[in-house]
Amino acid sequence: METIRQIPALIAKEFLLEWRSKYALGGVLLYVLSTVFIVYNGFIRVAPPVWNVLFWIMTLFTSVNAVTKSFSAENGNRQLYYYTLADPSAVIFSKIIYNSLLLILLNVLTYFAFSLVAGDPVRDKGLFYLAILLGSIGMAVTFTFISAIANKARNSATLMAILGFPVIIPILVSLIKISANALGVITDTSVGQDIMTLLAIDAILLALAYILFPFLWRD
Amino acid sequence: MIKHWWKILGALLVLYAFVAGLLIPLKPGILDVSPEMAKGGSKITLDINAYNAHLSQAKEIGIWLKMDSVHFVEGNNIRILSDNKLKTDFQLPYWKSKESAKEMTLILDNEIDGYSLLPGAVQLTYGAPDTSGISSNQWLPAINGQLHQKEGLTFPYRNILYETIRNLFYHVPLWFAMLIILFASMIYSILFLSKKNQKHDHAALALAQVGILYGILGLVTGAIWARWTWGDWWSFDVKQNMSAVAMLIYLAYFVLRSSFEDYEQEARISAVYNIFAFATLIPLLFVIPRLYDSLHPGNGGNPGFGGEDLDNTMRMVFYPAIIGFTLLGIWLANLAYRYLNLKERFLDRYDN
Repeated sequence: METIRQIPALIAKEFLLEWRSKYALGGVLLYVLSTVFIVYNGFIRVAPPVWNVLFWIMTLFTSVNAVTKSFSAENGNRQLYYYTLADPSAVIFSKIIYNSLLLILLNVLTYFAFSLVAGDPVRDKGLFYLAILLGSIGMAVTFTFISAIANKARNSATLMAILGFPVIIPILVSLIKISANALGVITDTSVGQDIMTLLAIDAILLALAYILFPFLWRD
Repeated sequence: MIKHWWKILGALLVLYAFVAGLLIPLKPGILDVSPEMAKGGSKITLDINAYNAHLSQAKEIGIWLKMDSVHFVEGNNIRILSDNKLKTDFQLPYWKSKESAKEMTLILDNEIDGYSLLPGAVQLTYGAPDTSGISSNQWLPAINGQLHQKEGLTFPYRNILYETIRNLFYHVPLWFAMLIILFASMIYSILFLSKKNQKHDHAALALAQVGILYGILGLVTGAIWARWTWGDWWSFDVKQNMSAVAMLIYLAYFVLRSSFEDYEQEARISAVYNIFAFATLIPLLFVIPRLYDSLHPGNGGNPGFGGEDLDNTMRMVFYPAIIGFTLLGIWLANLAYRYLNLKERFLDRYDN
């Protein structure tokens, strides 16, 4: 009960921090726009299968950039202070929920920006938004947890990439398949099964993050 | 000596897998025939290339083309050119369908090699009776005489696979053993987190090292197999790609371990990552390949490796090979584990 009461307060703190240091959010937004523009300039006319892959690669890099700072933005002493106040599972859940919301926003923005310049080949909008939703949650869970690991080590920026990218591949590969369905690139009768698979992977990683995080923060 | 029985057993089973797996011959089979297409009612001379056969020593050679279980044609005037080459004549019956050709299976039988089949060897195309009234052969309702069985131990002969069928004893057991060893590594990581015993961390690290060694060997044996059956070292098969990604996950584990200054922190955080890594390994190797078409048996609508391919002679080597490679891996991990413990005891960790 205590944990559940702590989560909203911690999420509110994340929003407040984000709002106070506007450069971080502004930086990521600019990152989204410039990536979209670079990709558009490189390809100009984008065929749907390529559009699909490019979109998810852009969201991947945006997500890594947005989530990396979730533990490194605040210094060690302040984190120690949080840990005396809050339960570790409240800390990880609040970060995951905050990052999920942030990534949903960023990925929808990427979608709008990319379809503005390169055209919008999405046919099944509902399925595509579902893919963005599940993908953002999956990336938020994975990268939040990996950033908690990487933050403890030296050269955490390099570690973030080498630990995070292979681990995200199961999620990314199933995302690309689901959204290929939404784009009409492939027609697959078992798309419901793919969604269940993605949901299951998200759930397993979330459960592991919950179980394992208490071992990470205790220094 | 008694307490080392499992090491001896492991080494013996691996040795057995190499000796039996490489020395037992393949069952004789048919490589190819020409021509591969013939008109109904025509008389053809079929060139047959066999494999591993002893045709020049055989006395009772029988050759048939089979359309279905009650339609056969027998080859006559058999000329043996060498142990693996022969020519034979067929007087083919009429085939009255203009739309579709019919595939016929070639049956080659002799008393030394037993019988062998080549499905779809010859396609029978349209050919109906002409007015000149040349008599045509009729279908035989059954094979006259008994087919022979090959005696002695042999592995099944399969087109496309040929001799590479032996790789089943090395490629597949290496992956099985890797999964068992990485699972054990994860268990030791869980034990370390709950008991904080440094030896558990050493065991997890040692097992992960052997696991990645097996994984790389599995990739290499797989690439060799792919070269000779699918045509390329790397065939962009989803399972091949995902296995490579799995190796990256575990290589990252070693990079993570080397990026801490404090041993206690290194052991604890890498244990957390090890558990997380194993949890992503399962979807990588078992869930994602099901979403995509794979060339691997048992994926993407391909038949699994079983039934006739995995006959009793194959099982006799395959199962011991799995146990052997697993025990050998545990032995290797045991050596690495003891080395880590000794290094901890006699050398200052940060003194190298």
